Amino acid sequence: MEKIKIFAALLAGAMCFGSCMDKDWEAPDFGDNPPYGNNEIVPAPSKKITIAELKAKYADVFSQRSAYKLVDEDLQLFAVVNGNDQGGNLYKQLSIQDETGGIIVGINATDLYALMPVGQKIVINLKGLYVGTYGSMSQIGGEYNGGLGRMDENMWKANVRLVGDKVSVGTSENDPVYIPMTAVADTIDFYSTSNNNELVGRIVRLSGVTITGDGTQILAPDDGSVSLTSNCANRNINGAPVRGMVLRTSTYSDFASRPIPTGKVDIYGVCTHFNGTWQILMRTNSDLVEQ
Amino acid sequence: MKKQFQLVALALTASLSVHAQGIVESEEDSTVMINDTGDFTISESQLGEDDDMTSDIIQVGSSSNLYTSNIGWTWSAARFKFRALDNKYNDVYINGVQANQVENGRFQYSNIGGMNDAAKNKDAANPFEGNSFFMPGLGGATNYDFRASSMSMGSKVTLSGLNRNYTLRGVFSHGTGLSKNGWAFYGTLAYRWSNMETAAVDGTFYNSLSYMLSLQKKWDNGHSLNLATWGNPTERAQQGASTDEAYWLANDRLYNPYWGYQGGKKRASRVVNDFAPTVMLTWDWQINDRMKLTTSAMMRYQLYSSTKLDYSGTNPAPDYWKRFPSYNYDVWGATNGSNNDLDAYNTAKEYWQSGPQARQINFDELYFANQQLNKTQSDAIYWIQARHNDHLTTSLGSNFTWNTDKNGKFNAGIQLSNTNGMHYQTVDDLLGGEYFHNVDRHLVGTYTDTDPRVDYDLNNPNRRLKVGDRYAYDYNLKVQKFNAYASYARNMGISHSYVAARLGGSRMWREGNMRNGLFADNSYGESGVAGFLDGGVKVASTLNLGHGHAISLGAGFEAKSPNARDAFICPEKMNDFVYNLKNEKIASAEVSYSVNNSWLRLNLTGYFSHRYDGTEWSCFYDDNESSFVYVSSQNITKRNYGVELGAKFKVTSNFDITLLGTWSEAKIVGNTDVDYMLSDKGELRRTECFADGMREGGTPLAAASIALNYRVKGWYLGLTGNYYDRIYLSYTPVTRLKTVQDLWANNKYGGAYIDEEGNPVYAVPEQAKGNGGFVLDASIGKQFRLGKHPLSVNLNLCNITNNRSLCTGGYEQSRANYSVSNEDLNIRTYNFLKNPKKYYAQGFNFMLNLNYRF
Repeated sequence: MEKIKIFAALLAGAMCFGSCMDKDWEAPDFGDNPPYGNNEIVPAPSKKITIAELKAKYADVFSQRSAYKLVDEDLQLFAVVNGNDQGGNLYKQLSIQDETGGIIVGINATDLYALMPVGQKIVINLKGLYVGTYGSMSQIGGEYNGGLGRMDENMWKANVRLVGDKVSVGTSENDPVYIPMTAVADTIDFYSTSNNNELVGRIVRLSGVTITGDGTQILAPDDGSVSLTSNCANRNINGAPVRGMVLRTSTYSDFASRPIPTGKVDIYGVCTHFNGTWQILMRTNSDLVEQ
Repeated sequence: MKKQFQLVALALTASLSVHAQGIVESEEDSTVMINDTGDFTISESQLGEDDDMTSDIIQVGSSSNLYTSNIGWTWSAARFKFRALDNKYNDVYINGVQANQVENGRFQYSNIGGMNDAAKNKDAANPFEGNSFFMPGLGGATNYDFRASSMSMGSKVTLSGLNRNYTLRGVFSHGTGLSKNGWAFYGTLAYRWSNMETAAVDGTFYNSLSYMLSLQKKWDNGHSLNLATWGNPTERAQQGASTDEAYWLANDRLYNPYWGYQGGKKRASRVVNDFAPTVMLTWDWQINDRMKLTTSAMMRYQLYSSTKLDYSGTNPAPDYWKRFPSYNYDVWGATNGSNNDLDAYNTAKEYWQSGPQARQINFDELYFANQQLNKTQSDAIYWIQARHNDHLTTSLGSNFTWNTDKNGKFNAGIQLSNTNGMHYQTVDDLLGGEYFHNVDRHLVGTYTDTDPRVDYDLNNPNRRLKVGDRYAYDYNLKVQKFNAYASYARNMGISHSYVAARLGGSRMWREGNMRNGLFADNSYGESGVAGFLDGGVKVASTLNLGHGHAISLGAGFEAKSPNARDAFICPEKMNDFVYNLKNEKIASAEVSYSVNNSWLRLNLTGYFSHRYDGTEWSCFYDDNESSFVYVSSQNITKRNYGVELGAKFKVTSNFDITLLGTWSEAKIVGNTDVDYMLSDKGELRRTECFADGMREGGTPLAAASIALNYRVKGWYLGLTGNYYDRIYLSYTPVTRLKTVQDLWANNKYGGAYIDEEGNPVYAVPEQAKGNGGFVLDASIGKQFRLGKHPLSVNLNLCNITNNRSLCTGGYEQSRANYSVSNEDLNIRTYNFLKNPKKYYAQGFNFMLNLNYRF
C-alpha cells in the first residue's frame, strides 16, 4: 500500500511541477547595437562626404551611361532611407538621400524594408564599394559581369551602420561626442532639370497628372497584354513637367493588380532616370492618391 | 492544467479505493529476462511521433513468427517499415477497442510512449493470423492489454542513460496483481529528458512525462470492470532534414536547420507539444466456460501542436536554397553555365563554413526586423506559428469469443467511433512584432492587398492578429466509423484454418470556421457528407507436416474507406471533396514455411499485395506559380511483394545465432491521376503524374542481420550486424506531372525531347535514393541480486563502427529546376533534383539501463 501512496505522490508531484522547456522568450532590446550591419563603423566627420560631393568627385563615371569605379578612399555617407522594397516594387534596392541629393543602392537581398524602413538613418563606409551608373542611373553597388550591379549582402552588412537620430563620433566611450543626423526622408515636387543626377534617388511628387496605358487596365498586368521589361510595366504619366515620363511598376509588386485610375492622381515615388527616360517607382500602394 | 488536476484527482481516488480493499503483496517475479526487449525499444521516440510526417513505422510483433517478433527493435535504427507499408495498414487496439487515429488511420505510438512495461502486454497478429480481437489489417494487428490484473506484480524501477533524442529516463511502475477481493491496481510513471546541451541532435530537447493508472475489480460471477487512464504530456524540439550540401558545409550529417541563436542562447523553432489524455472503461464478462464478451469504451482528447517559423517575405530558413553555394554555381554541370558565378559560390561557402551562427536561424535579426517595422506601424514580417491538430475521439469496441468445441473458435465484434478533428493555426510568438493581418500574403499582387479575396476570414475582415489568435485556417473534420467482423478458426486433422470477414462504413464531413476570401461561398460552415461502405474477407490455413514442419497459406481481399485526411482537395480553405473519391481495394496473399525443433526455429515467408484505387493528398509551395498547390493523387495502384526470413539456431544451450533478412519491392504500378489546385486562383487542374515505378520511401527495401547471443552465469552478451540497402526517398508528384513535363519537352531547351513523330519525349526523373550500409551493435548485460531482489544492468552499444552515411529517409524537393515567366522557361543554376532532403542515422551511440524489481 505504501508503494501506491508513493506512486500517487510521485504522479501528483510530476503533474504539478512538470514544466515547460521552451520558455517564453523575451524580446531583446538592442539599443545602439542592432544585430544588422556593422556596429564597428565609427562615424567620423572627417570622412564624411555628401551625395552631391560624391557625384562631383566621381563625375567621370556619373556622367556616363554605364561606367563604374571602386571607391578606394576612406569616405562615409550619412544618409536616410527614403525608399525600399516594402511594396515589392523596388527589388533588391534601397533609395537613400541626404540634404544634398539621392542615390540608389543595389544590394543582393530581399526584405530590406524590414531592416531599413523609410526614415532609417545609416552611415555607409564607401571604401571597397563601387559607384557609377547603370543605364545612366547613379548607383552604389558591386561589380557584376563587368558592370555595376548589386553588392553581396554580406558586403553591405560589413559596410553599413544603422544609427539613431544622433551618432557618437570618435572612439572614446567615456567621452562621446554626438553629431545629429539632419537628413529626413522628405518629398519634393518633381521639376524639369537638365542634370539627370540631381533628382535620382529622391522622393518626388507629381500632382494632378493622369496615367494611361495599353492592355489590361491595371498597373502591371502579367497576362501578356503589355510588353514588360525586367517584369515591369511602364505606364505613361500625362501632364508631367517633362515628356515621356513613366510610372514603372513590377508585376510582382503588391499593387500590380490595382486598376489604373481614370481621373487625376497625385503620384509619389522614387525618381529614377534610365537611358533617357524618367521613371517613377511607387513604394507602396498609398503612393498613388486619386484626387 | 485543469485536466491535469482532474487526472491527479483520479489517480488519488484510485489509490484510496485500493487502500480500502487491501493488497496481496506480489511475489518476486523470478522470470525476468535480461534481454528484455521492452526496455530496448530505445528508438521509441522516433516511432510515429510526428503527426505531420510520413515516416511512421509499424510495430508488428507476433511472437509466432521469428521475423516479425524481432524486426521491430532490431531494425528500428534504420526506421524499417514492415513490408514497406504505411502505419495506417496496421490496426492497433487497446483492450479491444481500435486506437488508430481516425483521420489518417495511423496509430500514434507517442500516445503510449514511455509506458514500455505496460505496452509489453500485448497480443499481436500477423496479417493472416487469427486472433481474438478483430480481422487483422494488411500490416497486421496488435491488441494491447491495459487491464490491471494482466500487468506484472511488484514494483520496478528503471533508470536509463543514453545519448539519443533523450539522455535520461526514469520509470517507476507498480502492479498489485489480483487481490483475494478481486481488486487489482497498476500504475506506471515515466519521465524522459534531454536538453539542448545533451541531446544527440543539436538544437533539440525532449521533455516527456508518461503515466498510466489502471484499476480493476473482478467479481465471482464472471464480470469484471477495469478503468484505465493514461497520457504523456510531451514537449520536444524537432530535427529537420537537409541536403547533402548542407551536411557537407556543416561537416555534420546531423546538422539541424531548425534552431538558431537568440542573444547567444540556442532556441528551437519547431517544438511539438503532444498530450493525449485517454480514459477507458472495460467490461469483461465471462459468460460461461466457452463464451466471453469484452466491451471497452474509450475517450481520447489528443492535443497536438507543432510550431514553425512563418514569414511574409523571404524564407528565413538558414538552408533556404538561395543561400547555398550551389545556387550560384552549377556544380553538376547540368546547365550551360552561363549563370555561373564562382566568386559568389565561394563567398557563400566561406559564409556557411564560418561557424554555427552562419548556418542557423538568426533570431536576433528577426526580432530586430519586427521592431523596425513597429516604428512604421507595419505588419510583422516574421513570427512563429503553431499548427494544431486536436482530436476528440469517442469509441466503443465489443468482442464476443465462443469456443464452440475443443477444435473450433468463433469471434464476432463491432467497433464504433466518432471523431472531431480540430485543425487550426495560431500565432505562437510575434518575435517582437506588434501584429500582422489575417490576409494571405501569397495572394497580394495577384489581387491588391485591399481585395476581399486575400482575406483569410471574411467573417472577421482584415483582422489584426496577436499572440494566441487563430489565423490562416480553422476547420473541423468529423468522421464517424463503424465496423463489424466475424471469424471462425478450426483445427481439422493436420490443418488449422481461419476465416474472417469484416463489414464497415464511414461518414465524413468538414466544418469550416473561417470564411476564406477566395472561396467565400464554400468555406464557412458544413460541407456535404461523404459516406463509404467497405469490408473484406481473409482466409488462412496452416498445415502441420510433422516433425516441427508446417506450411501456411493466406489470402484476402478488402475494400478500405479513404482517410478523411486525403478526402478534401484543399481542407485548409474550402469544403470540396476530392473528385472521384473511392475505397481503396486491397488484394493480398502470403505463403509461409516454418520449422520448429530443438536446434532450429525458422520462418520463411513470401508475400504479395496489390492495392488499387488509392488516394493520397499533399500540399507544397510552387514558386513557378508563386502559390501553394494542393495535390490529390488518385487511382494509385501499388504492388508490394517480397520474402522474409527469420531463423534461430541453437548452437549450444547458452549460445544461439539469429538470422533475419528480407528483400522486398514496394512500388507504384502505372501512372496516377492528379488534381491540383493553385491557392492563388482557386482553380482545379487535372493531369496525370508519371509515377510509374516510384517506390515506397523512408525504409530499407532490403535488410539482413545476424545476431549472436551468448549467456553464461547471469551474463548476457549479444552482437548484431545489420545491413540495409535499397533505401528510397519519398517521391514528389510535382516534377513528374504531365503538365510540367509537357512544358519542359515543348520548350526551347527541350528541343531534343521530341521524337521522330513529333511526340514529346519526357524526362521523368529517377527517384532519389539514400545510402544503405552496415551497422554493428553490441549489448552486454548482467543480472545481480541486491538483497532479495534482482537488479539487471544492460549496456547497449549501437553503431560501433560509427557509420554516419546510413540514410534513414527523406524526401525529394517539390520544386522544378527551372523558373517560368511569360511562358518562357529559364534553367536554374540550383539543381533541386540533385538536392533531396535527407536524414542520416546517428553515429556511435549507447544506452545504459538499470532495472530493479522489489
